[in-house]
Order: sequence, then C-alpha cells, then structure tokens
Amino acid sequence: MNVPDELRYTEDHEWVRVEENKIRLGITDYAQDALGEVVFVEVPEVGSTVALGATVSEVESTKSVSDIYAPVTGTVVEVNAELADAPERLNADPYGEGWICLIEMDDAGQLDRLLDGDAYRAMIAG
Amino acid sequence: MVPFGGWVMPLAYGDGTLAEHRACRRTAVVFDVSHLGTVRIGGPEAFERLQRTLTNDLGRIGPGRAQYTHLLDDDGSVLDDIIVWWVDETGFDVMPNASNTDRVVDALGAGAVDVTAERALLALQGPRARRLFHTVAPEAAAMGRFRVGRFTWRGVECLAAGTGYTGEDGVEVAIPAERAADLWEAVVAAGFVPAGLGARDTLRLEAALPLHGHELGPGITPLQAGLGWVVSWTKGDFRGRAALAAEREQGVARALRGLVVAGRRPPREGQAVMVEGQPAGQVTSGNFSPVLGRGIALAFLPPTVAVGDRVAVDQRGDAVPAEVVATPFVAPTPAEPI
Repeated sequence: MNVPDELRYTEDHEWVRVEENKIRLGITDYAQDALGEVVFVEVPEVGSTVALGATVSEVESTKSVSDIYAPVTGTVVEVNAELADAPERLNADPYGEGWICLIEMDDAGQLDRLLDGDAYRAMIAG
Repeated sequence: MVPFGGWVMPLAYGDGTLAEHRACRRTAVVFDVSHLGTVRIGGPEAFERLQRTLTNDLGRIGPGRAQYTHLLDDDGSVLDDIIVWWVDETGFDVMPNASNTDRVVDALGAGAVDVTAERALLALQGPRARRLFHTVAPEAAAMGRFRVGRFTWRGVECLAAGTGYTGEDGVEVAIPAERAADLWEAVVAAGFVPAGLGARDTLRLEAALPLHGHELGPGITPLQAGLGWVVSWTKGDFRGRAALAAEREQGVARALRGLVVAGRRPPREGQAVMVEGQPAGQVTSGNFSPVLGRGIALAFLPPTVAVGDRVAVDQRGDAVPAEVVATPFVAPTPAEPI
C-alpha cells in the first residue's frame, strides 16, 4: 500500500496535506482498496463549518457506505467538484485527483494528534 | 473473499465489480455458483410431492425443462425461491438458495437428498456466452432457454440448463466437483471473464430479479413481490395456498416497485421511500446501476403507487427524488449467434 511520507493520517484512514493554514483531505490507498469501487462521494458545501470528528463527507462503493470525519475544526473553503461525475478518482488516484475537500483550520494545534507515515504504516500492518 | 450462506466466496476477481458487470452485459462472464443447493428427488412419487410442496405447476412443463417456483410457509410467506430442473422422466434437481437447502430437504421429505457437495455449478452468462461456450461444450452451449439436459465433457457426465440470474442469456452447468477446476480453466481460456458476488448482485438488481432475504422472505408473499405468475391456482393444493388465496381476494397491502433516483448515490436496504413527503415504504435492495449511471432500488410501496409516479428516497437524511419505473431496469443484450 502506498503511504506517502509527506502526508499526515488519521486512524480512520484519511490523509491530510497541510497547506499553510489549510488542510487538504482524502482517503488513503488502504481505505480505497478496502472500500472497493467508489460510485458516489458526497462533498460538503463550500463555506460550511465542520467540527473535529464530525462527518464531513460520505463515500459509497458498490459494497458499502463510509463516513469521512473532519480531522480538524474549521471552514470548508474548496471541494473537489469533479467527483460528482468521476467518483472513481478516489480509487485511481487517492492522494491526487481523488482529494475531497480543503478546510481552513481554526486551530493548527489539532494537527498534533495525527499520525505520520511510519505510524500509519504500522497501524495498517498491525 | 467474504462469508456467504456458509460458503466463502469472492466478492470480485481482479478487475472489480463494475468491470465484471459490464463484461456480462457486453460479452460473457463465468460465476462459480456452487453455493446454490441441489436437492435430488426421484421416483414415481416425486412429481406429486413437488406439486404439493411448491407453488408453480410442473404440469405446464415436462422432462428436459426448468421452472422457477416458490416454497411457501403456511402464512403465504416465501420460505425460498427455487429453480427446478426436471432432468428426466422421474428425476428432479431442486435448486434452492444456499442457506435454505436444509429447509427444502425437510419440506420435500423422505427421498429428497442433498447432493450439493458432489457437484460444482458454473453460470456462464452474457450475450456472447453461448458463442464462447460452443468452443468448449457445443451440446451444452446450444441448450435452449429453460431447457435442461445431460452432456458429456471430457468423459464425465454433466448437466446443463438454459437458466441464470443476470437478465442476460446464458447456460448453467453442473459438473462433478472434482472436475470443476478443469471446466473453469477451459471456459476462462475460451474468453469468459470471472465474476464474483458483487457483480452477481448488481446484475440481478438491474434485471429486477428478487433476492431471498430482501424482496422475498418472512412476511413477504409472491403476490406482494409481483410474482403471481409463479403460483398456480389450477393444480390443486400446496403449502401456503389458503393464506395466499385470502390475500389475493383482499388485494395486496404493498407491492414491489422499481425506483431510479436522481443521482448516482446508491439507495440502501431499509431506507424509507416518501410519497408526497410522507414515509410510505422501504427499499429492499439498492445499488449503483453501472449501465444507467444512477442509483436504482427495489422497494415495497402502497399498491396505488404506479409507474411514472415521483417519490423520494431518504438517503441518510437527504430526500432524493426518484421515479417509479417499469422493470427490468436494463433490458437484456441481444445474444450473439453461436
């Protein structure tokens, strides 16, 4: 499984890319493989506020539905509108074109609880 | 691999459910459906036993034919839906769902033998299935729709039937278990794409074929599921007949309908269906239709809800508009000539 070192991870198999005071959010390679073929992604509304741990997106595959949780508290400033017609991007390119949304953080200190690449690799191997 | 009715089965092979699904609509796939039961019953009393136990009338067919039928509970609920292969004059192979095999053996009584473990069952499905299978077993590939017959493949006696569960043309083959891997390899070499349980479910849903435990089961009668044609009222008594006759007299309280939702989001079992803003029914099966590119569902609704009506499906709090449509959702692809 591909686990890029420059990203941070949650225990719910999401990745986070820190971009100044914002974070870009998606699901990991491990998560997309476990979910199977993604057929629908509900992205949040731009401008909506999200709280740490609250559902920010829902991803449905031919097998099941999964909630995506906000890894920080903040405001959604951009979403990946391409997913409406091409949700399979989560499978094909989970760390690139399969990103879900960009969130402006209220408190960058919340990043401290995220896993680094080594810790996430250890978790999925465990 | 996932547990399913006491078996361990692949959800998908290498290319995934959507690719397998499209292969079945466009070319040909092979499923290992050995999990379906085979209950063998024979002898001079077998015909009458089946007539009294199951809903359909075997008198409409004859040896060398297959028939879809139901086993009912006393209250008219569908205990199982079944294909009967009438193999020869007095011999029948009764094919229940995996988890219901013991129930069917019990219902048929003395003389019914569960031979599931002796044979494997491969389903060859898709518009090109017969053409490809013709290069492997020409006699079996030519088996007509809902026909059953024996054939010999590499010296071993097998059974073929023109049946399936995808909405496409195709053939199902029962082969002694120890030779099944050889046949699997031969059909894959001939061009069949292996397909798993995931595609089996999306294909049967597009074809609006019922799945026991969803559209059929406790509290659900054949009449509610829109399968009245499976019930013969002219052949005499059978288990569940009295309860079903009463429902037929009164009219059904709910009816199975097909829904296409406005987006791609797959409806899911248990989601409420709203008519004029009020909860009026429930989704029994739903998924993404790879052919339509839309979420589709089967749902129980009041019988007054008709094709063309606009309803909504409560998809995790969002009332998503949906249209009641005629089923199947997707028509069969014309079969290619052999």
